Amino acid sequence: MPGASAENIAALRLTVAKLEQASPGAAAPAYLPLGLREEHANPLASGLFRSALNEIVAASYRDQAAAIGFAAAVMVRALASGCGPAVLVTSRYGFADWGRLYGQGLRRLGLDVGRLILVSARDDRDALWAIEEVCRAKAGVAVVAGTLAGDPDLTQSRRLNLAAAGCGAPLLLLRRPRGVAATAAATRWRISTAAAARDRFGSLAHSRWQVDLERSRYGRTGRWLLEWNHVAHRFDLATVVADRPLLRQPVTVGEEGGRRLTS
Amino acid sequence: MLVAPGTGGPRVVALNRAARAVGIKLGDLVSSARAKAVDLQTRDADPAADDAGLRRLALWCVRYTPFAAPWREDDASGVFLDSSGCAHLFGGEARMLDLIEHGLRRLGMHPRVAIADTAGAAWGVAHYGPAGFHIVAAGAQAAALRGLPAAALRLPGETRALLHRLGLRRVGDVMDQPRGPFTARFGAGLLLRLDQALGTAPEPISPLVAPPVYHARAGFLDALTAAEHVVEAARQLLDTVAEELARDRVGARKVRLLLFRLDGEVLTVTFGLARPSRDAAHMARLIALRLERQPEGLEADFGFEAIAVHVLAVAPMPEQQTLLGLSEEPLAETGFAQLIDRLEQRLGEHAVRRLHPRQSHVPERAVTAKAVGDAAPDWGDTNGRARPLLLLPYPELAEVMALVPEGPPQQFRWRGMLHQVTGAEGPERIAPEWWRNPGAEMEAERDYYVLETGQGQRFWLYRAGHYGAGPVPNWFVHGVFA
Repeated sequence: MPGASAENIAALRLTVAKLEQASPGAAAPAYLPLGLREEHANPLASGLFRSALNEIVAASYRDQAAAIGFAAAVMVRALASGCGPAVLVTSRYGFADWGRLYGQGLRRLGLDVGRLILVSARDDRDALWAIEEVCRAKAGVAVVAGTLAGDPDLTQSRRLNLAAAGCGAPLLLLRRPRGVAATAAATRWRISTAAAARDRFGSLAHSRWQVDLERSRYGRTGRWLLEWNHVAHRFDLATVVADRPLLRQPVTVGEEGGRRLTS
Repeated sequence: MLVAPGTGGPRVVALNRAARAVGIKLGDLVSSARAKAVDLQTRDADPAADDAGLRRLALWCVRYTPFAAPWREDDASGVFLDSSGCAHLFGGEARMLDLIEHGLRRLGMHPRVAIADTAGAAWGVAHYGPAGFHIVAAGAQAAALRGLPAAALRLPGETRALLHRLGLRRVGDVMDQPRGPFTARFGAGLLLRLDQALGTAPEPISPLVAPPVYHARAGFLDALTAAEHVVEAARQLLDTVAEELARDRVGARKVRLLLFRLDGEVLTVTFGLARPSRDAAHMARLIALRLERQPEGLEADFGFEAIAVHVLAVAPMPEQQTLLGLSEEPLAETGFAQLIDRLEQRLGEHAVRRLHPRQSHVPERAVTAKAVGDAAPDWGDTNGRARPLLLLPYPELAEVMALVPEGPPQQFRWRGMLHQVTGAEGPERIAPEWWRNPGAEMEAERDYYVLETGQGQRFWLYRAGHYGAGPVPNWFVHGVFA
């Protein structure tokens, strides 16, 4: 059973992370896996860290929309795995250049927009306060995300990481494509745009992003082309998708094909 | 001395003790008043400022009872306080009146105060009784009023003049007359005032501030100046209120904090709660956040001598098991509601929103943000049409090149960047909603395309109008896909 083996691997990974942890008293971090199929999940299965700061950085100015899209996709996964709402704190001018989040567009990525709480702060000071407040509140939040106009320094990222520690949900921080400052984040993901996957009719079907896991507290780093499946709420490795019919079980093909047509 | 235009020239409408001492009376012509006192100072009367002052005075009085109503008619004005259930907090009615009188004297006023079963009787005794303050015993209105001038019934000028002509000088004279002929002569007004003063007719009085459902107050010998002291004092008051709320199984939905400053000003902080609550610590936290948000700080100046907490609205709230609960669900829900409250207090009322879909074909109109307290939006399923993750606040003009007629462009320049189109989807035609606003029928139909560029970015562009007769249509960038 492939599902069971995936579970076993996840459990083993958790055990390894626990053993590796420097301070024995601290709670073991849980993961928010990206949902890759187990056959190519190996380097990425750790995904993002719950109860910790995860940074998502756009590789360049024009990759900001892709970074926001990746963050939204991660939020979809977090919402699917928990029952609370998602909270997005935006500082004014956070990503104002690119307009504002569009409900129908979020829905297209598979996000349950009704569970998304948007918090707008006047400046970074208020935004940082709000992010910490959300993290520290025992509010059962599934995921916390934030954008800042400026770049947080090491102290601020430490504070955020500390605030996220007891939260249980992953904290995502969208950073602007500036010089990479020192950070206390558990993971840092660098996102670039990539041409979208075409469906069998040749039209644009799934968003793809070039994802660099630059830094991870426990796992390995790496670079992948990921494809977001907005129906199954799961990431796929895009390179393998090309010859997927060879790997995939026939049942899944029919199911997904049917869903895609109705979506 | 204040003057206002009257018959035959400006007349005196208000005067101070010094003016009264030289024999000037209300209603005198200013010219004759000047004959009595050469160094007379006059100012024009300003009824609007009087009203504002009276309101401030009424607000000042809220420290004694939450029910305070400014009352003003013709040349008579005052503040009615409903002391029921409050007097014992100050050590009885006499002590309360004494406190009020002292407080007002400290503000430089010469108050006349009285307490009685009815507003009318209290007013009459305060205005026309002998100097000092008065307590009319329960049910003794008739006896107290009998000897007073008829004007003690809060009557308009012409009624007073007519009573005077008829020789009915005292309230007692009016009481002893048969009612029938009186109504014919004076209308219902006179007897209504009499009945109201005696307590046989009801008198509705609208309070200045909405009367709270629950309230608590505290006075301080040393005025509070520090914000944290104010918050702590508020927390203690909220604790006492919370006990009453728990007894009645309700939670507060709207709370007002009143801060009474030494100089007579009253500052208020009002806040709503996402879910009914009787968590004093939570509400105190909201107050602290609001005080932090005030740009000019607390404005404590000389400090606050008293503070009051009014619960203005409540909602049913059953007993909750907070400890050893089997399910964590209610705890998280309360925690979330309290989180929303805190965010709103610090960031502003409209800072915490949720997106709701709207019935509209026009993309920028199809979504709206509402407060979290509103019913959860139903987004349903997507209709399968491509929609961008980010929508520009206003469509931005794009310079297009290498056009295929009635097709997507091969190249376009937007914000100074040239984009090579490598893939396109569309068009999706969206017509203006002419039924929504007049003039919309003049807007062009939009043909939307999803364009993918060589770098992998995807944009949402539209062409406003068609090729053919008329000007060449413009292209606009409206959104960015993830």
